[in-house]
Amino acid sequence: MTAPRSATIIVDGRPVTAVAGVSLTAALVGDHRWALRRNPVDGGPRGPFCGMGVCFECEVTVDGVPSVRACLTRIRPGMRVDTTGAPNDR
Amino acid sequence: MRAADVVIVGAGVLGAAAAWQLSRAGHRVVIFDRGAPGREGSGTTAGNLHVQAVHTRRPGQEVPIDSARFLPLQRAASDRWESVEDDLGASVELRRSGGFTIAETPDQCQELKEKHTWEAAAGIPTEVLDGDAAREALPLLGPTVTAATWCASDGYANPLKVTPAYLAAAAGHGAELVPYAPVREIARRGGTWRVTAGTHTVAAPVVIDVAGPWLGEIAALAGIRLRMTPVAIQMHATVRAPVTMSHLVQHIGEGLSVKQVTAGNLLIGGGWPARALNLAGRSVTSVDSLLGNVALAVRVLPFIRDLRLLRAWAGPLAATPDEMPLIGEVPGEPGFLVAGGTYAFTFAPLWGETLRGLAEGAPPPVEIADLGPDRLMTQTKTHEGRQR
Amino acid sequence: MIVERDVVVVGGGPAGLTAAARLAAAGLTVTILDEQPELGGQYYRRPAPEVARRWGDHRREGGELIAGVRAAGVECRTGHLVWGLADDDRTLLAEDEAGRPVRLRGRHLVLATGAYERSFPFPGWQLPGVTTPGFAQHLAAGDHTPIGERVVLAGSGPFLLPVACSLLALGVKVAGIAEAGTPYRPGRRALGTLRHPARLRELAGYAARLARARVPVWQGAVVLRADGHDRVSSVTLAAAGRPGQAIRTVEADALCVGYGFRPQTDLARLLGCEVTADPGTGDAIPVTDPAGRSSRPDVYVIGEAAGIGGAPTARARGLAAAHDILARETGHPVPPAEARRVATAARRLGHFTALTDALYPSPAQLLDALVPALADSTMACRCESVTAGELRADAAGDVNAAKARTRAGMGPCQGRVCGFAVAGLVRGGAVFPSRVPIRPVRMTTLLELAAEDGPA
Ligand SMILES: Cc1cc2nc3c(=O)[nH]c(=O)nc-3n(C[C@H](O)[C@H](O)[C@H](O)COP(=O)(O)OP(=O)(O)OC[C@H]3O[C@@H](n4cnc5c(N)ncnc54)[C@H](O)[C@@H]3O)c2cc1C
Ligand SMILES: Cc1cc2nc3c(=O)[nH]c(=O)nc-3n(C[C@H](O)[C@H](O)[C@H](O)COP(=O)(O)OP(=O)(O)OC[C@H]3O[C@@H](n4cnc5c(N)ncnc54)[C@H](O)[C@@H]3O)c2cc1C
Repeated sequence: MTAPRSATIIVDGRPVTAVAGVSLTAALVGDHRWALRRNPVDGGPRGPFCGMGVCFECEVTVDGVPSVRACLTRIRPGMRVDTTGAPNDR
Repeated sequence: MRAADVVIVGAGVLGAAAAWQLSRAGHRVVIFDRGAPGREGSGTTAGNLHVQAVHTRRPGQEVPIDSARFLPLQRAASDRWESVEDDLGASVELRRSGGFTIAETPDQCQELKEKHTWEAAAGIPTEVLDGDAAREALPLLGPTVTAATWCASDGYANPLKVTPAYLAAAAGHGAELVPYAPVREIARRGGTWRVTAGTHTVAAPVVIDVAGPWLGEIAALAGIRLRMTPVAIQMHATVRAPVTMSHLVQHIGEGLSVKQVTAGNLLIGGGWPARALNLAGRSVTSVDSLLGNVALAVRVLPFIRDLRLLRAWAGPLAATPDEMPLIGEVPGEPGFLVAGGTYAFTFAPLWGETLRGLAEGAPPPVEIADLGPDRLMTQTKTHEGRQR
Repeated sequence: MIVERDVVVVGGGPAGLTAAARLAAAGLTVTILDEQPELGGQYYRRPAPEVARRWGDHRREGGELIAGVRAAGVECRTGHLVWGLADDDRTLLAEDEAGRPVRLRGRHLVLATGAYERSFPFPGWQLPGVTTPGFAQHLAAGDHTPIGERVVLAGSGPFLLPVACSLLALGVKVAGIAEAGTPYRPGRRALGTLRHPARLRELAGYAARLARARVPVWQGAVVLRADGHDRVSSVTLAAAGRPGQAIRTVEADALCVGYGFRPQTDLARLLGCEVTADPGTGDAIPVTDPAGRSSRPDVYVIGEAAGIGGAPTARARGLAAAHDILARETGHPVPPAEARRVATAARRLGHFTALTDALYPSPAQLLDALVPALADSTMACRCESVTAGELRADAAGDVNAAKARTRAGMGPCQGRVCGFAVAGLVRGGAVFPSRVPIRPVRMTTLLELAAEDGPA
């Protein structure tokens, strides 16, 4: 069986490669990137929690669109992801 | 049955402010609420401290406020807010960083100028700015703004902190709060009122009816008929955003108030009507109102466009037919005091003090003769309350 | 845009898909919406095509069901979040993936909004690397991605077992499973499940797999705390009976904790459907008849939104609702034999759920055990960073008063994650109210909707 096709996305300016079409949380966790945002109240790092769109802990900026839930997003080649946004929800 | 000096019906901001004033002065106070305190008008309010004229009409409001009469009251309330945090020994997120009332049309600009002259007459300094000057002062304002008045004393206090802070301070002076105790009977024997709530009955020479939207209902228990119209209006909150705006922004011609609260959320209101008033539970918000209000907010403050709406809620208030506040003693019913009506949040420190004066038989701090319940009484007393 | 259909189905999991396929096959116009980028819901969540090609599709029947839905002519709208209800009380308001507004009207509304996991706080649960078991499951089964290298599972309920197995299949070291109850001891209640050989075999299969891999199952154990800097690195467990005292510390780079599922009833409540406390769990669930009809004649609530019961139950409920709608639409009841088969299946499945539920502590028992042990300094509401102590202070049994006082539940998750714990801490049974918007919605969506000719 052939190896699965992969896709490369740009996370905070650096390339991250994962199996094409997986969830963005999978690409990030697979790259050991867990802290995706800071809590606006206590400033602490937060990462994906529920994996199904309920907790809003995995929000990142995708192709310039803020507050996108990574768990509800599938990766596309060249997708630009920013996890360094201001510690606010927007 | 217990005895007290004053029984307060309703633990909203007015009941809480009155309880603090009275207990601090050494009176024995019992406060009843049918639910948790501060959850109705005082928990759903926008929390604006309106010092410049609130000329805005709530959508659906029939008569405009008589600003010339209103402004001196606003000024008196404004002075009292200055010391609220010190008085109560608590932070209520009080902020006096000023506010703009904006105009978009020539007629509205004209109104702004008129309003400015009344404000000057009442001793409230405001400044009229043209659109560019307004945008220079608050660059977040959008291009449709053609003029604005600036008032340095407009402000905000977190309503979720104000009522609890008053109640805590009152409790410190011995006031007793009895939540989840709906008042169901009020009767007078001579100079004594007997108020029954749940399993409690308290006798006192003074009853203060500050039941907000239920003010008329409580008065009716004592056989007093008052013309008050409960309505529900709604509020909208965005998610938290970076703190960029410290001022209150209102519109002179349309229902709009916007500010950013300490937590970073933008609170958008302006008296837009809820879909349904529900005095037994929570009123239901209207999506039409929601859309109208946020579209207006984005037009005036375009940066809101990039945010998300997080929550909306509706709350009840009782309006008087003339849109003026209600405060005073019910004629022929010695010791039965009422307070409520328009902008009760802004007026809370003032009405708290005024109610104490009325209870003590002392002169009120401001002229209130024309704000009394006599103008709202539909018929003479029925006595049914007494007989029960 | 306005979509007018005979039936609008919200939720593309087993329940919604089953109902939609049956209804469209009978000739009704049906739209199904889901917030997720693909149909399937939780149980039939679709793996990426490349994952399926290389490692296989772990739930092929899900793919077949979705193919059936499309073949039957159901209009499928993924990436659509239903966030509100218009003032006419029947038009659903949605936002599509690009943030455009979509309004939907159906003569029948079928709510198949599923469930989410029941969480309970502990010190350190906000650390990255602490997740729900469902997230680990989705990463493993759908994305072929291990959640960590050394994983601890904790909480309660049968779901921990398949998640552990999915992790093992990826070569992950499962350091152990902490189960708050003591279900895995032979007893009379366990025997009742023998009447459901298929489901029991499933559970027994998981247990055997875990035994082969020598995964320890610590029964009667709960998480005392998680430690780590920027990411969890160790987990300390306590005995459920004495939850304050550490019994063991385990190294782990991921900790997945869940206490079963809670029905997602926000949309049903927004539509005014009557709710009642589930006798088993105490959660508010919509009142429905066996066909899923709610107190509103035009609204059906099916699948786990109507009560937790697993995917086969969700499918049975979907079919029952479809039959009821078809009977009302055509005037011809479904052939009694078919209707009877569905009803019997649903009943048997319900019986099985009750039996398995009885093996594990009920949510009320969990609260009794966990709430007193929760330290005041523990963060209870993750969004607004509110502590257990703040919620406990003058708790009056009223979650909404507690929300106003502390801001718990005011953040973007709108109280879904903390709701169970908040209710326990303030000793209130009530849930946070459901109001528009039921999820945060973009202003741009609202502006576009306002610019259309009004919402209704
Ligand atoms: C959405 C909204 C926005 C507003 N914005 C502003 C603003 O920005 N600035 C401003 O100045 N004003 C504003 N207002 C008006 C103002 O906030 C309210 O009018 C004010 O808070 C009312 O306070 P209250 O104490 O009179 O009544 P409430 O806060 O309504 O309290 C009345 C209390 O009486 C209790 N009660 C009722 N029946 C009984 C019974 N039988 N027995 C015992 N207790 C009973 C109720 O439970 C309630 O707690 C707003 C109001 C709303 C609804
Ligand atoms: C994270 C998670 C993982 C799970 N994994 C398993 C498993 O591996 N094995 C197992 O046996 N059980 C699993 N379950 C249990 C599972 O919930 C049920 O077995 C089954 O999926 C229920 O089917 P359903 O059709 O009722 O709902 P679901 O499958 O949950 O489908 C509901 C759908 O509705 C959508 N939805 C909800 N609200 C809205 C809205 N407002 N707008 C748009 N769309 C909306 C959701 O996105 C979701 O796709 C899991 C549950 C969760 C929460």
